Amino acid sequence: MFSPLPMKHISLQVLTADLPSASMILAGLNSFSPDNRPYAEHELPNVPGQHFRECYAQAKARLDKISSQVEFTAPAFSGDITPISEQQLEAVNQWLGQAWESCSDFEESRRRHLEERRSIDQLETTLANFHDLQIDLGQLQGDKQFLQTTIGMVPRAQVSQLKDALGLDNYMLFPFHESDSESHVIIVGSGGNEGSKLKSVLDTAGFRPLEIPPELHAHPEASETRLLQRRAAVEAADEELGETIQGWSESANQELRQAARILHLAAPYVALGEAARQLGNLSRLQGWVPAEDIHLVESALGDKLPNAYVLETRDPRPDERGLVPSVMRHSRLLRPFSSLVMQYGVPRYGEVNPTQLFALTYILMFGMMFGDIGHGAVIILVTLMLRRKLRSFTPFGIAAGLSSILFGFLYGSIFGYEHILHAIWIAPLTDPLYMLTVALLWGIGFIILVTLLNILNHLMTGDRIGALFGDNGLLSLLLYAGLLGTGYSFYAEGSVGLFWGTLAVLTLIGIFAHKLVEQEAAIGERILVAFIETFETITGYASNTLSFLRVAAFSLNHVALAIAVFTLANMMGDLGHWITVVLGNVFILVLEGLIVAIQVLRLEFYEGFSRFYSGDGKAFKPLTL
Amino acid sequence: MSSHSDQAYLKTRVGVLSARLLDPDSVERLKQMSLAQLGETFDLQPIFEEAIDNRQKIRLVEQALLQRLMHELSVLLRPLSGRSRGLMLYWPRKFELYNLKTLIRGKLNSLGMEEIRDNLFEMPENIRLPHESLLQAENVLEMLRQLDQGPYALIARQARNVFKEQHENFSLDAAIDRLYYTGMLRHANITDGIDKRGLKKVIGLMIDRQNILWLLRYRLVYRFAPSEAYYLLVPYGGRIQREKLMELANLDGLETIIDHLPQQFKTILADVKNITQVRQRLDHTAADELRKLMHYSPDAVVSALSYLIIRDMDLMKLYAIIQGKLLHMDQGILNEAVPGNPLPAGSVEATHV
Repeated sequence: MFSPLPMKHISLQVLTADLPSASMILAGLNSFSPDNRPYAEHELPNVPGQHFRECYAQAKARLDKISSQVEFTAPAFSGDITPISEQQLEAVNQWLGQAWESCSDFEESRRRHLEERRSIDQLETTLANFHDLQIDLGQLQGDKQFLQTTIGMVPRAQVSQLKDALGLDNYMLFPFHESDSESHVIIVGSGGNEGSKLKSVLDTAGFRPLEIPPELHAHPEASETRLLQRRAAVEAADEELGETIQGWSESANQELRQAARILHLAAPYVALGEAARQLGNLSRLQGWVPAEDIHLVESALGDKLPNAYVLETRDPRPDERGLVPSVMRHSRLLRPFSSLVMQYGVPRYGEVNPTQLFALTYILMFGMMFGDIGHGAVIILVTLMLRRKLRSFTPFGIAAGLSSILFGFLYGSIFGYEHILHAIWIAPLTDPLYMLTVALLWGIGFIILVTLLNILNHLMTGDRIGALFGDNGLLSLLLYAGLLGTGYSFYAEGSVGLFWGTLAVLTLIGIFAHKLVEQEAAIGERILVAFIETFETITGYASNTLSFLRVAAFSLNHVALAIAVFTLANMMGDLGHWITVVLGNVFILVLEGLIVAIQVLRLEFYEGFSRFYSGDGKAFKPLTL
Repeated sequence: MSSHSDQAYLKTRVGVLSARLLDPDSVERLKQMSLAQLGETFDLQPIFEEAIDNRQKIRLVEQALLQRLMHELSVLLRPLSGRSRGLMLYWPRKFELYNLKTLIRGKLNSLGMEEIRDNLFEMPENIRLPHESLLQAENVLEMLRQLDQGPYALIARQARNVFKEQHENFSLDAAIDRLYYTGMLRHANITDGIDKRGLKKVIGLMIDRQNILWLLRYRLVYRFAPSEAYYLLVPYGGRIQREKLMELANLDGLETIIDHLPQQFKTILADVKNITQVRQRLDHTAADELRKLMHYSPDAVVSALSYLIIRDMDLMKLYAIIQGKLLHMDQGILNEAVPGNPLPAGSVEATHV
């Protein structure tokens, strides 16, 4: 419960022909994560299904591209679970290849329509530019006896170089309009023998001649009408293309669904990767399974595999700890907290899973910092209203609201009013020092607990030195105790107690000595580093403990904000009073609620997790259907 | 990069790394080494020992040398931030542009996905094109549509032209090169370095070298018209600016073109017989000039960039030597392809570009 589930390493030997079935069976259980480490490379030199995988990758890419073209969404998987043969996959891939060819043509047609639209835009711009001249635009194009004129577009960035280049062939270039990336230019020259050179350099420059169609060889007004007709034709063609795509999509829908289904069923075998190896008819598959699911694996394989198989299971070896995936199964209530824990990292296999501790302390601290019956009730109400959007985070909101209500009763606060209910425990502002002391004690308890968890984590991995001398190890904990005892005896008695003082000094020497020994550097550098790191241990504990004062500070802040709202409200008339009270409470709920939620998360991650939780474990990624 | 400590760090790093640069004697020594000795010296032994054909070994060596260069770049990038970092990160983009050329050419020539993939350089994540999706494109038009959506739209247009009109690929190559050099200049113009002049000199050296070589190829080998040859060049060189480039593009013949080059180039290229010799001498003198900038520029970024360019040239030499050895080339051919000092005797001290 407090650490990831115990795991077993399994090795399954099957006939190569049964490997796809085995992958389907394991995927159906949702409990098998392939172990892709290289193994048995000499005994089983081949990785089966290479061609299958390549075929799958191509087919999947094709289906994705087609889906984006024709807006096809694969339906949720249902129906019989049968292994997919290489022939089936090849057939699907081939069909998808043909289908993509059609879709690619659609896409190319779309691009051409877009280009045609742009061309019409350009022509309209050209027309507008020459509007005032009232001349036949056809006169500007084509070869004349002494003059060759060409109109077209070139990339803006190339205009000046093209101008220079054409100058070498005695042509002149005049830009007459510029858009974002293109320049409209007129090129004028004497023609003759230079004509072929001109074509060559213009081709090289990516020059796009602006064909002035015969219909524009007229006066501008008539030309505009013709352009409008041309635009309408493009729009019609585009609409027709849309209908063609729609028609194609409908006619191909059944095949697309079938292709999606086959790819879905082929995925588990593809996902095996190098976890499966093969020699002739014999294949082997290795991976990780939660120990509690081993019997499920055994019975599923026994029931469904057509031929004989050998299943070997073993516990993870100590040297494999870093490779074992961590499986955590939480109830619906803990799932949102687990998601937040995962934001920090995945617990290492064997490491304490902090989800329960996180959930409990988060909710308690949130309530303590934001204790108000009314505000807690609003949080619950809003959470319930937004439950469809919040989904698995709904229990998180409800738990935070309940905690707020609980502490509201303890503080006697409802929507900031402190005289309606009698405080079961204390109204925070009546004794701020008491509240700060409680927060400090809470923080000390929290830090001691997480340091103990760190020691436990080290012991579970067999790292006794780390548990004793490491950062946040037993020695650090004793130093913390020594410092706390020394501080308290100085505060209570005015002098440093012998026991606590000696404990603090001895542990300090111990930590310093350990840091001195574990360094690999010149002696001077060792001393410097050991001194700095030991000093950091002390300052770390001190600052982390003081950090918890914010738990009390926010409970005081909550009341202070409410007082501010009521002071403002009392300065208004009746209506103004209630409007201010409502808006003030909304302000407190939104702004302070958000700040408190973030501050608690900060305390958990920074003051808590950083002391015991590495979060660098391997996530469990099972084969799934 | 502004702080003195960062400048000092980078200068020190460049100083340490510069011990790896090759002088003409080292190049001669490398040529005399056996393949095994080269493998041991440059940690390439595992590649040479692998049971694969020579073509694959050559490919792996090229990748390994590029990785070495990228590693050194990552070391030099550490103290850099902001625009200086942007400039230094832009420089290796040329390898990514080689990849772009490979991808487009591969698709234009209907090569298979694996064949194209085998010829791509492995580049760091932050400057990498989405190769996989480009490779997955089933034909050239699909790939060009993908390129249309990003910063390479201009290249896509040029490539579409090449595809439709069945042109040679020069316009495509030239467009890609121009894109790269204008990008370099843009970064140099906005950098916050203290030696912008030095920086522009470095980039100018690269562009001049490129322009001279390609001008000679376009005019003398491919027999392009002056206008087309000029159009394919980059008109922002260091010593050869726009007007001079136009004048050169209008000339014909190796000697005539060299005669009209600025004096510094004319001296070092005197009596060359072919374009290969032109390249070797330009590379040699450019490396000399870059060494000076590397040592004496007050700006550590200029030093670092100069170092990387020389190092890249050196690794290319090493690559050529290893390639020659793997293909059992005659020592004479190797000497011709990778001369230690390509300048005529006695001209080393007198000529610098």
